[in-house]
Amino acid sequence: MPAPVSTPDPVSPERRAALGELERELRSALGDDGVVSAPEQLRTYECDGLTAYRVVPALVVLPRTTEQVQAAVRGCHARGIPFVARGAGTGLSGGAAPVAEGVVISVQRMNRVLEIDLESARITVEPGVTNLAVTRAVAPHGFYYAPDPSSQQVCTIGGNVAENSGGAHCLKHGFTVNHVTGMEVVLPDGELVELGGKTFEQPGIDLLGAFIGSEGTLGIATRITLRILRRPEAVQTLLAGFGSTDVAGRAVTEVIGAGILAGAMEIMDRLTIEAAEAAVHAGYPDVQAILLVELDGPAVQVEDEMARVEAICRDLGASEIRVARDDEERAVFWKGRKGAFAAMGRISPDYYVQDGVVPRTRLPEVLRRIDELSARYGLRVGNVFHAGDGNLHPLVLYDGAVEGQARLAEELAREILVACVDAGGALTGEHGVGTDKACAMPLMFSEVDIDTQLRLRRALDPDGLANPGKAFPTPRLCGEAPGPYRPHALEQAGLADRL
Amino acid sequence: MPTASEPASVEEAAAALREAAAAGRRVSIEREGGDVVLSTARLDRILEHEAGDLTCVVEAGVRLSALQARLAEHGQLLALDPPGDPTIGACLAGSLSGPWRHRYGTMRDLVIGVTVVLADGTIASSGGKVVKNVAGYDLGKLFHGSRGTLGLVARVALRLHPRPERRRTLAVPVGGPDDAQRLAQAVLHSDLVPSAVDLLWGGGAPAILALRFEGTTRAVDDQLARAAAMLDGAEAGDPLWGQALARQGAAGGSISFPPGELGRRLASLGEAVVRVGDGVAYVPGPVESPLPEPVRRLEQRVRGQFDPQGVLVA
Repeated sequence: MPAPVSTPDPVSPERRAALGELERELRSALGDDGVVSAPEQLRTYECDGLTAYRVVPALVVLPRTTEQVQAAVRGCHARGIPFVARGAGTGLSGGAAPVAEGVVISVQRMNRVLEIDLESARITVEPGVTNLAVTRAVAPHGFYYAPDPSSQQVCTIGGNVAENSGGAHCLKHGFTVNHVTGMEVVLPDGELVELGGKTFEQPGIDLLGAFIGSEGTLGIATRITLRILRRPEAVQTLLAGFGSTDVAGRAVTEVIGAGILAGAMEIMDRLTIEAAEAAVHAGYPDVQAILLVELDGPAVQVEDEMARVEAICRDLGASEIRVARDDEERAVFWKGRKGAFAAMGRISPDYYVQDGVVPRTRLPEVLRRIDELSARYGLRVGNVFHAGDGNLHPLVLYDGAVEGQARLAEELAREILVACVDAGGALTGEHGVGTDKACAMPLMFSEVDIDTQLRLRRALDPDGLANPGKAFPTPRLCGEAPGPYRPHALEQAGLADRL
Repeated sequence: MPTASEPASVEEAAAALREAAAAGRRVSIEREGGDVVLSTARLDRILEHEAGDLTCVVEAGVRLSALQARLAEHGQLLALDPPGDPTIGACLAGSLSGPWRHRYGTMRDLVIGVTVVLADGTIASSGGKVVKNVAGYDLGKLFHGSRGTLGLVARVALRLHPRPERRRTLAVPVGGPDDAQRLAQAVLHSDLVPSAVDLLWGGGAPAILALRFEGTTRAVDDQLARAAAMLDGAEAGDPLWGQALARQGAAGGSISFPPGELGRRLASLGEAVVRVGDGVAYVPGPVESPLPEPVRRLEQRVRGQFDPQGVLVA
């Protein structure tokens, strides 16, 4: 989102002195190569995947061990200095954006696979291990790690935990939270706590589950145990071309109605197909909408279900139906989809990726609304979405060089979000609230909802030092005026029933 | 003399909690122990079922059987099968689960939104009605296993699953702990995709490994035949799962362990029903499983924020 570069607050002499003291302390604890303070090197960390939002931190720490993370957090806590945990910095919501005059704690050097326990189907890793490295570590044994965000080659498990990352295949297999069985966490006061273990069964409240997706505001995970799954016996991927996204969407409805739980169901519209073709030459058909359906499981089951899916697509008048013959062809089908965001660079100087969710049955009306908005704003919007779970990724195209267009794009993207929430959906399906949507939270939650959720924050981080200003609105960031709150989806359900 | 409170709406529940807190009376939810005993018996409405979205919204007092009956009309189900017929609120607050957890996980994996009422009468929600949503903290997770100590679970939004076309069960006789370990590992490292794997152990009966297969008719028949050949088992009926649930329901406690340590753990277990994939054994005797000290302290801090006056009976 084109947001202004924040002006750092004037640093108080006390804070400056405290930072100096902290730097000396951490240099002695971590060694000189574990602390970055040279201005030109600090610039490397000034933003994450939300590149329009930049803040240069005061200090970057590169721990190699849990004890070093604790040392950094304790040092911050003792002096009231805010800190931000960072993985690979690929997040799209500014969740790892630094805080001015604060510390960034990068976990990238904590990148060891600690244990592979095939008998329990678990793997234990440090937070800097990449998502794909987990699958690579267990692939020789016939296992894989299910969550697969598009950035899986570089994004870290620590970042996945912070954002509760999903990916194209979470429709069937779930999100990060459904795959983490245990974690070692450094709390915001530096205390160490072990949540869960190698089994999902835990006594007491599900602190592990509540921690996952908390966007780095409750502490830093320093060791993570994940469930790994056996590679499915069969995987089949179908690509079908349709005359409109509406009809492609109807196919998805019918697949779900037939009781088929697909591994993934993705739709790309005309504009996205064009961009993807220009960028990666996936050989997509010349159609208005493409539907990708991937099924995985026992071979006979996949065969039965794929026959049903094909029949559904044929009956709805699909102009072209292809089923990938092998892994290579499957990779080609996915190449255009996974590269769709980056491909927009081929047809537009700038673009903004929105991330909203609607109940799947409301997709057609929300897509029409997006068309209307696109026409009204005079900006093109490409639509690519996880159709199975109603997670939309509208790509708003604009030219930052044209005076005022960035601003227009921002407004359009926000209106799309409002349309999603109005349809009973959510502000973000997988990219997180971060810096980007903190001020939009009141669209979805009342002040009381937010305050109640923040009780958890106050329990774990009463001083508000862990990733402040992210995930929730603050008066400093968003102004004092309450947002245009609409009744919560569950509230509406209750009220509607009472009428 | 404790007072019984049976609110018929979320607002009434909030009023009851607020009044009790103001009067300095302690409240227990769905059990004895407080000056006020709060029941969700009348919060029993199914508020929404969007078949096309595979989601529903219910009040906490809805019985699991009532919800399943309604969903079955649309060929859907809530993939949760704990013993007995608990309320949805109890499933969440009591972290109840059954054999299906092998495939579908537990209540924490099925809850997509909650409305809770805190001890001071605050009504608040988190999550929503969509299966994919990462906005805000997830109170649905936090209240999982909270046993009425953080507040009342009043409304719950759930993700649903399609009813499988066919279900068949295989029973495999098990020798000793080593044999159980061997069989469990054989299943894990095979192409079999059971939706439940329970081990009925001890209790004066021969040990049996039960596997449930669900899916399309052809696929289930194929999986069952392959499993029978590989594990040397025979088809059994649904009563086997009835036995597993009865043992779980009568259990005095549970023990959890890394699933790969099954054989070693069995050596020291008498009677049990074991969820093999998750490493959970339900055993007759009461089990002391105190929380590790740092976790206990953390829970206390959370409780201190959600119920600072200590209104709710822990």
